[in-house]
Amino acid sequence: MKIVVLVKYSMDVAEIRVDPVSQALRMSGVPRRIGDVDKGAVEAAVRLKEAGDATVEVVCFGPPNALGAMKDLLAMGADVATVIEDPYDGAADAAAVTRVIEAAVNKLAPFDLLICGFASDDGYSYQIGPRLAERLGLPLVSYASEVNVDDGVLAADRDLEAGVQTVSVRLPAVVSVAEEAFVPRTVTLLQAMKAQKKPTNLWSLADVSMTREELDEVTTYSALKETGIVVNRQQNVLKDSDLAEMADQLIDWLINEQVLVGKDGA
Amino acid sequence: MPGVILVSSEHPVLALELLGQARRLAETIDAKVGLCVAGAVDSSGLDSYAAHGADLVYASDDAVLDTCQWVDLISSAISASEAGLVLIGATKTGMEVAARVAERSDASYAAWAVKIEIDAGFAATSASCMLYAGTGLATYRFSRAVTVLSVAPGVFEVDDQPGRTARVEPVVLKEQSSPLSVIGERAKSNSGTRLQGARAIIDVGRGVKDHEDLDMVRTLASLLDGQVSCSRPVSSDRDWFADWLGLSGVKVKPDLCLTLGVSGAIQHVVGIRDSRVIASVNNDENAAIFTQADVGVVADLNEFVPVLIERLRSRGVTPAWL
Repeated sequence: MKIVVLVKYSMDVAEIRVDPVSQALRMSGVPRRIGDVDKGAVEAAVRLKEAGDATVEVVCFGPPNALGAMKDLLAMGADVATVIEDPYDGAADAAAVTRVIEAAVNKLAPFDLLICGFASDDGYSYQIGPRLAERLGLPLVSYASEVNVDDGVLAADRDLEAGVQTVSVRLPAVVSVAEEAFVPRTVTLLQAMKAQKKPTNLWSLADVSMTREELDEVTTYSALKETGIVVNRQQNVLKDSDLAEMADQLIDWLINEQVLVGKDGA
Repeated sequence: MPGVILVSSEHPVLALELLGQARRLAETIDAKVGLCVAGAVDSSGLDSYAAHGADLVYASDDAVLDTCQWVDLISSAISASEAGLVLIGATKTGMEVAARVAERSDASYAAWAVKIEIDAGFAATSASCMLYAGTGLATYRFSRAVTVLSVAPGVFEVDDQPGRTARVEPVVLKEQSSPLSVIGERAKSNSGTRLQGARAIIDVGRGVKDHEDLDMVRTLASLLDGQVSCSRPVSSDRDWFADWLGLSGVKVKPDLCLTLGVSGAIQHVVGIRDSRVIASVNNDENAAIFTQADVGVVADLNEFVPVLIERLRSRGVTPAWL
């Protein structure tokens, strides 16, 4: 069985700061990494590999220095990783990203299973899995929290709002994994060292027979402006005193804010 | 050609919120509003949809639709109506449906819209959408004939004016149901809470560790006339609540949001940041939530909450709105 895992080299959104005056987003110095959900997609693939016989290939549309992060995924148990150089530096319309990924997985075909996170850590727009399923004409098992493959049939639990749905489908298929469903393993030093010898590729758009012009063509919007959301909270802090005293201070504060009223309206 | 704004969500309240916004937008350009629904519509249902802003109701013959059938229904309605704008409720199903509809209809698509601008003929549709999980806002200008936007619950307001009329446009689905075979389903526990419209919300984070701790949380909630909700990990890992607050969950606008053991990740804060007042209890002084709160208490919540309950009771303090 061949499993292709799709990951993004995402920005760590918790590290994005907003200029309180200009509302500008301060993007320089924001660290990038393979997000937890995407690592969960790799974890899901590696568990399937351990349960049966599979090769796991990772594909990332990102900057060349994402190759370093690919080593972590190889250490987790992936067999080969490929970075396709992203001329948009992470800001492309998902419609365009989908075309690149589609071209890449067609180059890697035949495959049995495509696995991705339900959403990227930074874009968080839930698009790649559904769009790929649509373009490739494959079934999509979205928000999977458990997956098993037996004799070419995938069984999965889907984590939905109202409950958990168990489904089965014949491969090939696309799976998107749910948040927090597959906790990525910690790798040993030995695994990390072995990962250094596993193959990685850096592809250009030309390597998947695409051009920047084609991608511009399928891009469906332009960003007019981006601003940060400025939080204007009072940020009072009560600490280091008696619990009852802090409780009273909190209550007094809430009375002052007209959230609470004291006895006799005081 | 005045055009049509289409609306769809399998979530009934969210569908009405989207209808309200579609109605307001449609009136600026003299467009019509179409609603996609699963199953036959009776006359009282039709009156209700009309009162909430629909002119046209695209109804499938099947009453229960899977994701693929929703995509089929909406795509068919787009072709039939020549819609220029499609608003889809940002539930898990809705997010999958929206991306697939956009791909199938070669539409522009952006997720998490909070502000939408259109002009006649949909030639210059633009929208402000949450960016980087809610850290920022991006304003996009869309280039395709059809623009699809996903919209979270609680962003737009319901409009209800009885007396308006609508008509049904039946849609025969082309596509068979999803290739997935459903083997089983188990429902999550339903807390039965009404988060939208609550004046106070007690927001439980991962710092609340044991299920029995919810007893004191509920006691506190009843003293504050509040509803209890939680962050996403509490909902998914512990199954204490069906709903959660945050970017992917419910967004609330109470007078008071009191967070207990919430760390303050942006994906969660998005769900509570429109609260009038935010108070937070966390034992980690460096927790991000303290930068998002009006007042923070650095304390172990298991020790602090019982004391707070005692002080509220003995001082006879009550919510201002009661």
